[in-house]
Amino acid sequence: MKKAATIILNRNLPEVTDRLYEHLVEYDGDQTDVYVIEAGSDKKNLSKYHTWYVGTEDVLANGLRYSRGMNYGMVELLKEGRFDRYDFFFLLTNDTEFQDGPTISPLIQVLNKHPRVGLLSPCSERWGERRLLLSEKTKYFWFVHNNAYMLRREFVESICDTETPHYMDFLFDGSNFRGYGSEHELVAKAYANYWAAAITSEVWASENESHLIEHADQIRTEGYDQNLQLYISEGQRWMRKKYGFNSHWSMQQYVKSFYEKFFEFHPEYVQYKL
Amino acid sequence: MIHQRLHSFIQTRRCTLLGVGPMSLNCVDATIELANDYDTPILMIASRRQIDSEEFGGGYVNNWTTEEFAHYVTENDKKGKILLARDHGGPWQNTKEINENMGLRRAMDSAKSSYSADIAAGFQVLHIDPSIDIHGDPDVDEVLDRVFDLYDFCWSQAQRRSKEIIFEVGTEEQSGSTNSQEELDYTLRAIKKFCTKNKIPPPTFVVIQCGTRVMEMRNVGSFDSPIRVANEIPAEIQLPKMIEICNSHGIFMKEHNTDYLSDEALQWHPRLGIHAANVAPEFGVTESKALVNVLEKYGLVKLAELFLKVAYESRKWEKWMVEGTTSTDRDRALIAGHYVFSKPEIKELKDEAGIVLKRKGIDLDQYLKQEVKNSILRYLRNFRLVREI
Repeated sequence: MKKAATIILNRNLPEVTDRLYEHLVEYDGDQTDVYVIEAGSDKKNLSKYHTWYVGTEDVLANGLRYSRGMNYGMVELLKEGRFDRYDFFFLLTNDTEFQDGPTISPLIQVLNKHPRVGLLSPCSERWGERRLLLSEKTKYFWFVHNNAYMLRREFVESICDTETPHYMDFLFDGSNFRGYGSEHELVAKAYANYWAAAITSEVWASENESHLIEHADQIRTEGYDQNLQLYISEGQRWMRKKYGFNSHWSMQQYVKSFYEKFFEFHPEYVQYKL
Repeated sequence: MIHQRLHSFIQTRRCTLLGVGPMSLNCVDATIELANDYDTPILMIASRRQIDSEEFGGGYVNNWTTEEFAHYVTENDKKGKILLARDHGGPWQNTKEINENMGLRRAMDSAKSSYSADIAAGFQVLHIDPSIDIHGDPDVDEVLDRVFDLYDFCWSQAQRRSKEIIFEVGTEEQSGSTNSQEELDYTLRAIKKFCTKNKIPPPTFVVIQCGTRVMEMRNVGSFDSPIRVANEIPAEIQLPKMIEICNSHGIFMKEHNTDYLSDEALQWHPRLGIHAANVAPEFGVTESKALVNVLEKYGLVKLAELFLKVAYESRKWEKWMVEGTTSTDRDRALIAGHYVFSKPEIKELKDEAGIVLKRKGIDLDQYLKQEVKNSILRYLRNFRLVREI
């Protein structure tokens, strides 16, 4: 029985997606089933490993993006009765790159060692956080970038909408389409429910942004700069509408207040506090 | 007393103190007037390139020596609201020490001589920054040894002259990157141990890299960036942690390179608990832009072109350029403008323009000063140093 379900989101980059899929099967095939979502890809650009194809008018035009895409994958697993089979969900964008060697097994080991960690991310060599992971290779953070989240099922179950599961709001709030601020929200939900969010340097992952920069036309999305501008403006609008926050700093303070509370009630993990 | 006064002010007002670089005579006047009009303390943070003692030939700001600058400020600061501060004092922080390729001992003696003039002139805040070494790359402990030497020297000088001074430490450089939390903790512990042993007051400020970095005419650091900056700890993580460490040592955290941050980012400074922040080149650029704009607006295009030419040819813009810059020559000249305000040809140019503009009802220096004031006021408002809307 495989412990993890890995969900990869693809839009028109079959080679990149297939490479990631094959990497996972080669090094982590005994630990994970890998599911590929085609978020409105052209028929000629489907990953040869694709599991689900989403071809509604809206998705054909705009794709799913991280929040809606990952919700979609988990909802499909739920509908197909496979959600409960897994202890962990590994959510990946197709531009994620790993080192040669197992990724999932070390992550599961970390999660086994840290029973209150609900969300775990491998560190990236391009992240400054690596300098905080020297003596302790895993620490609990109040901000975790979202290109490779490993989520514990119990954590997902504690905050997801199982009554009316839908790709718009199962775990992530899909109304924030491009997802600026969504990481803060998920981490806040974790600490608010006494789950921690951790980064580990036991394994490394990176995001190859060159795909977005060089193949925006093929992905059928806006160019890098326009996408960035929309990502921020939409996210800020979402934060204001949903929380009344006018700044990502408000969001950060909000998350950190839950973070501090977590350690008050779980002093046994204080060595992992930043 | 100074430390207590600042502590009480910050606590009561829940504000961030502002350090203003004296970029020009108009900038100095604007700062003094604002501090007095709004009854708020402002640190006037002079680098050694801007202002230095006679021995070093003064600085590029109004060709002032330390003594002349301090005299001018104290004479005009009627309410005593300005804190005269030495920014980045220390060896090789003056071009003379670099040009003469001084060795460590000579450069340290030279720095001490500069500090001595500061103390004699009435500077109240001394930033001890021996992080520059043109002959090598000193490690943390070597830098700390130099800090202790200079700290002890300045304190003794101040005691001898019965002058009250407070200290700022921090081996900041404009890397835009972040000091490590361990390094900060280690540095503060070592300095406090030195101070306790020698019965010297601990520093009031420590410089922390908060993810701010000025290039060209913008802030390119991670503080104001909504997206990840490669190899940097996100400001959301770094800043609260550094503030926590400073608070645990009872030392105020000072941010450098705060120029050009957005209003929103500035408004978060008091809320996040950043005690003080320095701004400098932005005010120089503001004045340069204002000068060129007013000259062009009133048909003095040749004078505007001359100013831009002299500024451009100074090549003082070079250190501010990002790699692969697309800046125009005009942008580069505006970045370098304040370095040439005191050149004779620019003074003559301003005199000539002043006569023409006066006929049109414009007092050139009043106009320039007002523009700089507006720029400084943005910080005073966002830092809660000024309460009016």
